[in-house]
Amino acid sequence: MAADVRELPLGIGRFSPWLWVWLALSTSLVAVGLYAYSWQWSEGLVVTGLRNLGSMAGATWGLYIAFDVYFAGVSFAGISMAALIRLLRLEHLESVSRMGELLAIIAAVAAAGCVLVDLGQPARGIVNLFRYGRPQSPFFGTFTLVIAGYLFASLVYFYLDGRKDAALLAKRPSRLQGFYRLWAAGYQDTPEERARHHRASLWLAVAIVPLAVTANATLGFVFGIQTGRPGWYSALQAPGFAVMAGVSGIGLLLVIAAILRRALGVAERLREETFRTLHGILLVLVLTYLYFTAAELLTVTYAAPEVERRVSTAILTGPYAGLYWTSVGTLALAAVVLGAAWLRELFGLPLPAFRPGVAWALGVLAVVLGLAGWSTGSSALRWALAVTGALFVLSLVPLAGRSWMAGGVVSGLLVNVAAVGKRLLIVVPSQTHGALLPYPVGSYAPTWVEYSVILGLFGLGSLLYTLVVKVFPILEVEEGR
Amino acid sequence: MRTVWTVLFIVVGFLLQIVSYFFLAAPLGTPATAAHSEPRLPFAPTLFILGVVLVFLAAVVYELLPERVPEGSATRRAP
Repeated sequence: MAADVRELPLGIGRFSPWLWVWLALSTSLVAVGLYAYSWQWSEGLVVTGLRNLGSMAGATWGLYIAFDVYFAGVSFAGISMAALIRLLRLEHLESVSRMGELLAIIAAVAAAGCVLVDLGQPARGIVNLFRYGRPQSPFFGTFTLVIAGYLFASLVYFYLDGRKDAALLAKRPSRLQGFYRLWAAGYQDTPEERARHHRASLWLAVAIVPLAVTANATLGFVFGIQTGRPGWYSALQAPGFAVMAGVSGIGLLLVIAAILRRALGVAERLREETFRTLHGILLVLVLTYLYFTAAELLTVTYAAPEVERRVSTAILTGPYAGLYWTSVGTLALAAVVLGAAWLRELFGLPLPAFRPGVAWALGVLAVVLGLAGWSTGSSALRWALAVTGALFVLSLVPLAGRSWMAGGVVSGLLVNVAAVGKRLLIVVPSQTHGALLPYPVGSYAPTWVEYSVILGLFGLGSLLYTLVVKVFPILEVEEGR
Repeated sequence: MRTVWTVLFIVVGFLLQIVSYFFLAAPLGTPATAAHSEPRLPFAPTLFILGVVLVFLAAVVYELLPERVPEGSATRRAP
């Protein structure tokens, strides 16, 4: 990158050695994903763990669809946050608005990627969808509202929101000047233009919030209105999808904001107050989801029909129990981490003083037990891992309670682990254990191909996000700086 | 002129969505025959997506379309 580009604000065009390492890592993940997908393309879906329902005792939707739901949720949260910040004039959250918009765009691309890799013939799937799709179907609604809606609305919002900064940067000589001029499209920051932008973005925000809620609910309805699949048919699916989407998206936004605060050296722009508000929103959403989980648990264990009980038994005590209790436990731990900080703030509750060495020792022990449990398949070691892991996270509570940012990052990571687990639990068990016909109980285990493709999508996401941050300001440019 | 174009984009966008959803796509209700699963006009779903896109594009039209400034008046710059 030319020296003149380095004069631009917010780290644009500046590539540190750590950033090169990060980019190399992301690119490697993309390469691994592409290799795995090329293998799947040539050999067919048989190289994945996906199998037909019923007679083949498998699951036709697995890791890909679970991550489609996850990414669509993150996208929903990103664009909804940006719109709500505008609508409710949440000034101390304005610094994370553009981060949310960019997250929404990239997550929507990753969600589309998940659907495409799940299709045996993606090209045929795309053409047929445009030609024969049934707009009344929740599947089509998911595609049009999530992809056409989220993606296009986020792109428009991001583009219009960035015009003022593009105009400011276009005044400075740099290699990117032409690009900024094109983006600004004649914007001169006159009072009329400002007023017009204010009106347009306000109306966009008004349109985006209901669209986002409807779209995410549509995704929930794909599962929630299927009467023939025990475990899916539930009025809680759509609201549960929306709340979990908010949980995972805001959690990820907290992590991204913390990384960018450190990487760009913008502590004065991304203040503790910003993290405090996101922290509070996340706590409310996590508690709401835990309430949904408790309501669901009571409903399926109290006096549910036999076919429903078969699915819930598989989840609570059967082959999916490990994943279920890990997800719920992780979510509960996140609530503890988040709640402890608020108890300290509101009631002056003293937090126990763990030595950082204890936390590190527990963390290392958890990793060792995890590896040992994985290689030997010992359930005792897995339980030991669960206990040590929980102690490790609990030992982070005092550390996380010291600052809103630290607490936000720890809980943001925890809720995303829980979100992935919960998405898998929504998608898979009803297929393997929820047949109404007398088919044998099925199973599903993802193969290295599926893991690699998903890692590739994460790599693509981080690569795109980083590159955009390096060519366009992720925070509003302060005039005169 | 800008307002006219913006409103036009929004109206046409919503119209496309409504017409394609109710009149051009496969009929609503339980399909009685195989023909009921086919869209009445091929690529009707594409028109629906185009409608969604047009509605959001209206915001870009509203912000980017140059305003017709009366001759002799200068656009003030922000302080």
